[in-house]
This record gives sequence, C-alpha cells and structure tokens, in this order.
Amino acid sequence: MSEFEPKIVGFFCNWCTFTAADLAGTSRLSYPHNIKIIRMMCSGMVDPKYVIKAFLNGADGVLIGGCWPGDCHYINGNLKARRRVAMLTEILKEYGIDEKRFWLRWIAASEGTMLREVVSEMTAKLKALGPSPLNREAPGKEKK
Amino acid sequence: MSERIGFYICHCGINIAYRVRVAEVAAYASTFPGVVVARDYLFMCSDPGQELIESDVKKYDLTRVVVASCSPRMHEKTFRSACQRAGLNPYHAFHMVCVREHGSWVTENEDDATEKARIIVRAGLKRVSFQNALIPSQFSVNSNSLIVGGGIAGMQAAIDIASAGFKAYLVEKAPTVGGHMLQYDKAFPTLDCTACIGTPKMVAVGQDKNIELKSYCEVEHVSGFVGNFKVTINNKARYIKTNCTGCGDCAKVCPVDFPNEWDVNTKMRKAVYLSFPQAVPVRYVIDKRTTAPCRTSCPAGTNVQGYVQMVKIGNYQQALNIIMERLPLPGVLGRVCPHPCETDCRRALVDSAVSIRDLKRFAADHARLEDVPLPEVEEIDKKIAVIGSGPVGLTVAYYLRRKGFKVCIFESMEKPGGMLRTGIPDYRLPPAILDQEIGHILSTGVTIKTGMALGRDFTLASLKDQGFDAIFLGIGAHVPVKMNIENEDADGVVDAVPFLRKENLEKAGSAKKRVVIIGGGNVAMDAARVAVRSGAQSVSVVYRRTEQEMPADHEEIEGAKEEGINFITLVGPKKVVTENGRVIGIECIKNKLGPVDAGGRRRPVPIEGSEYVIACDMIIPAIGQSVETEPVLKDTHFDLTARGTFKVDPFTMQTSEPGVFAAGDAVTGPATVVEAIAGGHKVVKAIERYLNHEMDLFDKERKQQEENTKPDEKNFVPIPEDAALVARAKSVFIEPVTRKSSFEEVDMGLSEASAQSDAGKCLNCGGCCECKLCVDACKAKAIDHDIKDEREIIDVGSIIIATGFDLLDPTPMTQYGYGKYANVFTNLEFERLSNATGPTLGKLLKRDLKDRMKFTEPPKSVAILHCIGSRDINYHEYCSRTCCMYALKYAHLLKDKCGHGTMVYNFYIDMRCFGKGYEEFYKKVQSEGVRMIRGKVGSITEATNGMLTVVAEDTLSCRMLEIEVDMAILCTAMEPRSNAQDVMRKFGIGIGADGFFQEEHPKLAPVSTPSSGVFLAGACQGPKDIPDTVAQAKGAAAECMALSAKGIVEVPPMISYIDPDVCVGCQVCIVLCPYSAIEFDYFNAISVVNSAVCKGCGSCAGHCPSGAAKVRHFTDQQIFAEIDGLLLN
Repeated sequence: MSEFEPKIVGFFCNWCTFTAADLAGTSRLSYPHNIKIIRMMCSGMVDPKYVIKAFLNGADGVLIGGCWPGDCHYINGNLKARRRVAMLTEILKEYGIDEKRFWLRWIAASEGTMLREVVSEMTAKLKALGPSPLNREAPGKEKK
Repeated sequence: MSERIGFYICHCGINIAYRVRVAEVAAYASTFPGVVVARDYLFMCSDPGQELIESDVKKYDLTRVVVASCSPRMHEKTFRSACQRAGLNPYHAFHMVCVREHGSWVTENEDDATEKARIIVRAGLKRVSFQNALIPSQFSVNSNSLIVGGGIAGMQAAIDIASAGFKAYLVEKAPTVGGHMLQYDKAFPTLDCTACIGTPKMVAVGQDKNIELKSYCEVEHVSGFVGNFKVTINNKARYIKTNCTGCGDCAKVCPVDFPNEWDVNTKMRKAVYLSFPQAVPVRYVIDKRTTAPCRTSCPAGTNVQGYVQMVKIGNYQQALNIIMERLPLPGVLGRVCPHPCETDCRRALVDSAVSIRDLKRFAADHARLEDVPLPEVEEIDKKIAVIGSGPVGLTVAYYLRRKGFKVCIFESMEKPGGMLRTGIPDYRLPPAILDQEIGHILSTGVTIKTGMALGRDFTLASLKDQGFDAIFLGIGAHVPVKMNIENEDADGVVDAVPFLRKENLEKAGSAKKRVVIIGGGNVAMDAARVAVRSGAQSVSVVYRRTEQEMPADHEEIEGAKEEGINFITLVGPKKVVTENGRVIGIECIKNKLGPVDAGGRRRPVPIEGSEYVIACDMIIPAIGQSVETEPVLKDTHFDLTARGTFKVDPFTMQTSEPGVFAAGDAVTGPATVVEAIAGGHKVVKAIERYLNHEMDLFDKERKQQEENTKPDEKNFVPIPEDAALVARAKSVFIEPVTRKSSFEEVDMGLSEASAQSDAGKCLNCGGCCECKLCVDACKAKAIDHDIKDEREIIDVGSIIIATGFDLLDPTPMTQYGYGKYANVFTNLEFERLSNATGPTLGKLLKRDLKDRMKFTEPPKSVAILHCIGSRDINYHEYCSRTCCMYALKYAHLLKDKCGHGTMVYNFYIDMRCFGKGYEEFYKKVQSEGVRMIRGKVGSITEATNGMLTVVAEDTLSCRMLEIEVDMAILCTAMEPRSNAQDVMRKFGIGIGADGFFQEEHPKLAPVSTPSSGVFLAGACQGPKDIPDTVAQAKGAAAECMALSAKGIVEVPPMISYIDPDVCVGCQVCIVLCPYSAIEFDYFNAISVVNSAVCKGCGSCAGHCPSGAAKVRHFTDQQIFAEIDGLLLN
C-alpha cells in the first residue's frame, strides 16, 4: 500500500504568500507537492465556509497564508483573518477536525524559503497525524 | 447555455515540460465536460501562442479559455488581452493556472508534478465556468508627482518630470537636498568633484517653477490609488521663516554646540545651523527636540537650559532675563528652591546633575534686576487686588503688571514677603536679597498696602466696592497643626511657625536650653537650625519614620547634622511631660515601619510598651500648617476642601466665588516656593482671560488634555559617548563652628570658574536652549521660535520613492576598533575629511588621539579595508557594489593629497570593477603604486602612540601579514534605511530579503512596485553607484510621466458589491471596511459599496453573515468550484 499523501489546500494572499510561492518557484526551492494553492486577494477575504468546504471535500489540511501584522496590503485584513481563524479553529474542533490540520502563517513576499519550510513541516505533520476523518479516499483508512 | 472551453498548457521551453508531462495533462483536460479543444504548446505567451487562442475562439466558438503556464502575476494580462482581442470579456472567459512556479519548478518528481498539474488544471476548468463579465473602471490621473527623498535620485527624477511640464513635489526630511552624493568628495572613476556636478542639480530643484521643494518635511500618510493619491506631509517647524538670507549671524551668537550630522559628527555645528555652505534651500534651521527635562520638571516652567547656557558663555544678564520670564524672585529661588530640575537632569547619567539652583543664584548675584527688560505694553484700565505678598502673591502681581494691569497688594504684616520673610531663616535667605527682589517687583508699578489684614481692615466686599475687577487670595497657610497629645498647651511648647516668625523678625533669642523639634520636613530643619542660633544648647529632631522618609531636603538635613543637631528617628510623641505647667520632657513611643501607605511611604507602627521620656525645656512641633479661612469666610461663602484649603478649579484657579482666584499654600496646603509660583502663573493666565471674557478657552484646553492622554515620544539630544567625567561644582559654605552662632548666610555661592564649568556640563537635552539671542541678532527678523509643525495634504497621481540608504555602523565589529581607536575612520568620515567643506577643509589628516574633533598631520601609511559588512554572512550577504571603486578613489586621493610616498594598502576579497571606465581606473590607481592585498583584515590593534597594526592573510601568497599604519578606513556596507519598514507600510510596497525595497520584477519591472503608481529609484531598491542611480531615477520619472501624459488609468474591477436582495442591513461590513467604502442606505435599509473607494480586500465578503457581500471575481461559487476541483474527481 502506498504511503499516505495528505491533501492540503492553501488559501494564499496575492501580495505576500502567493508571491512567496512564485519566488520559491523562481528560486527552484522544491517542496512537497501536497499543497494546492488558491489565490485570494487577502487572507481577510477567506470566508470560514471556504475552509469548511475544503474539509468537507476531504482535505487533510488547510493553510492560510497572509502578510505579517502591520504589512497588510489592505491595512488590516490579516488581523481579521487571525480573529476568524481563532474562532473557526474552535468550531472545527467540535466537529472532530484537529486544530493541527488548520494553519495560519504569515509569509512575506520575500520569504520563499519560509514558504518551503512551512509546507514541508505541515506535510510531515499531517502524514504523522494520518488522514482527516472526512477524507473518504485515503488509503488504509479505518472506518470508525 | 452549455460552455465551450479551450484549454492550453505551455511547455515554457522546457521549464514546464521537463517535469510535467504536458501532453498527458492536455489529454486529461480534453475529457473534462465542456472542453472542446485542449492543446499543449511550446510558448503560449509568444505571438503564435496568443494567436492560437484567438483563432480557436473563433473556430470553435469558445466561451471560456484556461491557460496553464507560469504565475498569473507574470502573464495574466497577456492572455486577458488575447481573449479580449478574440471578442471575449476577459474576466468572464479567462482563467490562468500556475504549473511552473507552483508546479514544475518546486516538484522534484515527474509523476508528482504531472499529478499536481492535473489537479490544479481541474480546479481551473471547474472555476472558469462560474466567472462573470466585468468591466474595469477608468479614472483620470492627476498629473502631479511626488518624489520622496532629495538625494541625487530624487533630484534627477524631479528635474526630468519638471522638464516634461508636469509638477513635481520633492520631499526631503533633512534641511537640505543633496543626499549622500553631496557629502562625498570626488566621484569615481572620472574624479569629478561631486559638488561641481551635484550643486547645479540642487540649484535646479530649488529654482524650477515646476518643482515644489519641500525640505525638512516628511510624508506622514498616503491614501488613494494610482492616479489619485492624497498625501499628508508634515512640514517640520524650522523656526526660521523664508526671508532668511543665510547670513549666519544667528549661528554666531548661538551658545549650543552639537556634532554636525552632515559631517558625520567630525565637526561641530550650532543649534541653529546650515548643514553645509551650499545647502539648498539656503535657509537655517533650529534644532529643537523634546523640551529638556529640567524645564518640564520645574513647576514654574523656567527655561533652565536657557539660563544655564547663558551662564556658560558668561552672559549673566541674559541668564537673569530668562529666569525672570518665569521666576520673579531669582535670588530667593537660587537659595531655597528644592530644585526638582536637578533630580531629572540627564547629566546624572554621565557623572552628576548640573548644579542648576546654584547657577540660578550665580546669575541673580551677577546681573542687575534693573536691567531686566520689561515688555512694552499699554496700560490696561483694570484693577486687581492681590491679598498676601508671599511668593504666589508677588508672582501674580508682577506678571499681571508686566501685562499692563493695575495691581495692588494687601499685606497683613508690616513688611512684604509672607513665609519667605517669616518662615525661612536668614542664614538661608538674607532679608537684603528678599528686599531687593520685592523692591524690584514694586518698582514696576505694583502698589502695596502693608498692615492691612483681610477681615480686620478690609473685606472682599469692600474691595469690590473699591472697584477691583478681580481678586486674588494668596493668604498662605500660617496656622500650626496641632499634635493632639496631652499637655500640648503647656508653657514651653511653641509651634515652629510662630517660633520662626519671632526669631526671623525680632531675633528674640527665645530658644531654651534643651529643645526638641517634632517633625521631619524643611520647617522642622529650619526650626532646629534657628534654635541652635537662638541660644539652645542641645537640639534634637524627633521623627516618626527613618531619615530616608524625611521630606526635608537632603542639603538641609546634612546642614543640620553639621551644626550638631541630634536626630532621633522611628519615634513618635505621645505626651508632653510637665511640672507646674512647664515642659520638662516629652514622652515618646518607638515605632517600626509597617506596610506602604497611600502616599507611597511606609507607615510607622508604634511598638507597644516602648515608651520613654526625652528630657527637654522646649518643644517645637513642626508637623504642618493649615489655612486661616475664618476672616475670609466672614463675609463670603467659599467651598473648601477636606483639608480646609480653598477649593479651586484646577484649570482656572477660580474659587467658588466668580472673579476670586486663589493659589499657593492657601490652595495646596504647605508646599514649596516654586510650587506657589507655578500656581501664580496659572492665576495670571486665568485672570487675564477672565478680564478679557475668554474663560471658554479653558474648556478647549481641558478637552484637549483629556484627548491627549498618550505620552509624547522623547527625542532628547543623545548623550555623547565620549563625555568627560566632571565633578559637580560645590558652593563654599561657612564652617559649622562659625555659622552656629550667627544668622549670616551659610552658602557663599559658586565661584565664576566653577559656575561656568558646571554650566558647561549641560547636555542641552532639548537642542536649542531658547535663549533667543538669535532673535536679536537676526537683522532680517526671520526667526520665530513659536512656529509649529504644519500638515498639508497634496494630490498627486504618481509617487517615486528615492529614500536612499544608510551606512552600516561598524562599532559592533570590535575587531576593527572603530569608535575606540582615534584613526579608524568610516568611508563617509574619510569623504568628509577630503571634502572642501568638511572639518579639515579638504586636507587628509590624522585625528588627535585625545580630541576626536581635532586633526593633526597627514598620514604616512593608510590601510583601506573592503567589504566591511558586505559579503559577510554575519551582516549582509550582498555586495555593496560601490566599495571597490571608492576604495580605489581613496587610494588615489591619498597619493594625490598626502604625497606619492604615502603607503596605501587595499585589503580586498575580489575587485569588482564592472562599470564603464572602472577597470581602466583600477589599472591607473595600481600604477600609482597602491598595494593591493587579497585578504580580509582580521583585526586592528592600536599602540600607545596611536599606530595601528593591521593583521590579515594575503591569500595569494598564503602569508600572514602584520602591517603598521597611521590610519585605517573601513569601507562599510550600504544598508536599507532604518525606517524602511515605516516607508514600506506608508506606501504599500514590499521589502526583499536583503531589506531593500522590492521591485515588481528584477529584470523587466525594476522601478515598479506591487502598488500601482508607486515607483522606486536609487539605492533604496538596492546598493548602486551614481550612474545607475541616475539611470533608474530617469526610468522612474518616465513611468510617472507616462501616467500623467496618458491621463487615464484603468483600475481592476475585482471589487466588492453587496447583493441588495440578500443584505439584511446588519451593517457589520461597515465597521470592517478599512477604507470606509461601505455606506448605509437608510431608505432601503441595506449597505451599499462605494465602488470608487473600494479596493477589493474582501473584508466584508469574508464576514457577511447573510452572504450578501461578495468580491467580484472571487465569489463563493468560483472559490467553491476551485475547492471542488482540487479535492473531488
């Protein structure tokens, strides 16, 4: 049986983390393929229902990437994201989604290396954690 | 309607195709519902690639197009245009999937990369069908440009924009434009004089009518968007008006010296200064900082720094004039003030506080009161009655008189002065001084009626009848506070206030043999020391806490001890022991210190059973005084405080009776002279406003104070690191043996030499000392010390950031001894030495070993160290690009100016001489006999004679070298400005990993930023030399001119909208919107987005509880489709 490959959805701010992903590419910094990126204009525009939808569709992890506090292109959208994430984490826990599956990270446009580190770390941790309870396709998944 | 989708995947040469099996992805896409054509192509962004899309749209009647290639940040625009040309609305039809930056380039394995590409393509194909047609809005462009930074980049950009006929605002935070380039001496490789090629640019920006030069200004806030920015600029107060002729008369009289920043502290300048002779604008500036702590801690707000400086330069009359601005009794305060100013003096951080009080006395003793100028004012026909001639009464009288009011003082005693006369002993304050200063106050036209007691000889009502327009109550606190112990009224118990009054006025010699003083304040000390002088044989001070908690001044306690006074602490009085009604002793109880009380001192707790008796003949309680209010209350009702003092409004100092004001001890209870004077000043302001019917001004100030709760950031002059330790000046005191039997003044004051040297210790924390000598010296009348910072808002269409760089401070690299060894210089210091306007007028000289500001003789040997902080993983990994070349220039200049025999060693890692004429210059300098050594210097050490030993490895000959030199120059790295983060946030641009501002694309968009309409020029984007800087500045100017010339800008249509059918009007979005772009439509009870203001951040959409708020192009359906595509087959 093949090794479990977690499915990670990344909601990345266009101005920082998305650009950092571009930079990681131009710098040829390879990282796990598990992350698939959706471009957002700001981390503050990530509606909680997008995260919930991703988990419902079987994502093993969700990563929101925003600008460092104070650096938001739209003044303070990242801080709104932070508040939302704090709340949503609690709600997800109630539904059995471990908080280790839902990450918010500040990654500036120049931090391509940091993007690689975050994605690598998240992938490794999710592999250790195993598939999400809502991931119906994962190999070797035990039905409870 | 069924969608017809075209799918294209790019090989990008092999960039994508080497990892992603593009044909396989295209084949997969062709099976996707709705896809009618799926192709892979070598270069989709090429013309044939775009034509392929255009022809397919027509041929297959495509409704949607998905391209999988590089990042949308790269070519989204390209393909949108192709779709538009094919007749499709690009926002409706086109979506781009990134399989290069996010795919082939970051995935190691071909299978993984292909699978990832397949999945994200699937997401894109699902998304595209939900996209809607959007039309970008167009806005006009304001043709003005803003340029931030007046270095060579900013100046060049401004000149270019102005020459195209557009207006440029050039904002520079320093008082002059010019920047680093004008600090340098020559410019490599041509060795032109930088001043010769730079000053014409400076003059041009100063004179061009299309350039508005804003020097000494800073951008505070930026709002708006490309073509339509609103910029708030702070015009920092220069205190010199535009009619300044630059003659420099002000600087000649200025007493305050600081190191000149322009000369990187190799030379001094005055507090009023011009950075360098060719500065533009030729307009002086006064360096004012946060008001000095001595001045703010003075309750009366005396300009301490000002008079200390005047003592320093020996202008004692001006010192006295400055003191008299706030203190009407300079000699009195020079003797008795408890000097809170000295407590806050920052000089104490070096050695000891400046002896401020003694300097005040020195000024008062050495200048004439008659020569203090009085303001020229017109007589005002308003009469004010001042009741009481203590310090507060005299203050109110003197300063109201100075404003032209008619003032009459009523004093109950025979002689004026209040507590100054009756309470303070003569050995501290000789009556002659008091008489002289009161005499001066009266000489200004204040009338006085002595022997007139309120309640006995006149009443408040009678004063009003006499036509007084305002009344001031300054009756002090003269009633002793009782101890409330047994036998307190026995014969031999005399309170301190009547005791001191009697001794001061009559020299009655009324002290008994053995005297006990109760209390630990200044009054207790006065009573004890007066008792010694009035015949007592033994005097003891009994205090209930320890000496540490005593409120008396330290000097007074010490003085008392020297005079043989016995201190009995941690003891409280319990009962007066009498025999036949006469005092024979006092029973006391011992205390220990308990917990801290509300006043912050530890409370004394009596120890049970520890009572004992101290035998004595006389007890002088000095535990406080209260206000005698009965004579006042007889005819008018006043509100009193719980302590029995007059209740006043803290702003207006007005009592409950309109038109009657009070201050001093009568309001505060017993306090110091300077606090009384502080209250007096508030009364002066209040009475003036009262009589001018302007009392409402206080309400405004009250409101301002309430709103202004955050403390200002302190911006004092930094403490010089090389400040020498100077012992505190000490006054001469009469020997205790002599002084015990006399009321002669104990303190003889400072000598002139020690006064001047102590005044020289002042650090001038506040910058300018506001002595105002410059105001008199300026013939053009251009100086105004009351100018304030002014904010203005300008409208511009484009912005150029040209804020330049900082030089690395090599102090932390202790191996090079910079700052410690006299002759280790930084590159900029060396430039200033070489520059004709620098400290040596262009001579290259060694520094004096003892005095950093002095330069002696030319060096015979010099080491030049390259790459200090550049190409160094401990500091900056990047190359600063200019050091090799200017190091060669230094070598040439040394040979040129100090003689061919001068040994010059260049320690380099690699020589990088890459520009036009650079390599040739390298060859030329080598031929001049300069030694080039490949190897980085490990350390520099200094011998006692100042010779430096430079240790390095010559990596070409593999030998260790130790070379002795006279001078070493560190070629320090160019660094991002220390405030780069602030600038980044203000303008919404980005910072790269090296800390410099990040351009939009390193090759194809080197002057653009992610913020449309904001451009970069010069070294703020990365280290560069003058030619590159000028070229980039011209590029940035061209970008601005392109915007201005076109006059129209398209703004992306991805902004928010609120579905009116869904919105429930909860208004949460209104609070969330960072741009206040959402308004509430009260008629329809829904929120509405103002599309001209919205920037599309989606704060509203991310939160909207009903889902009414959406961002166009990022709708729920579109994102859901993308998520589905990523996760579901």
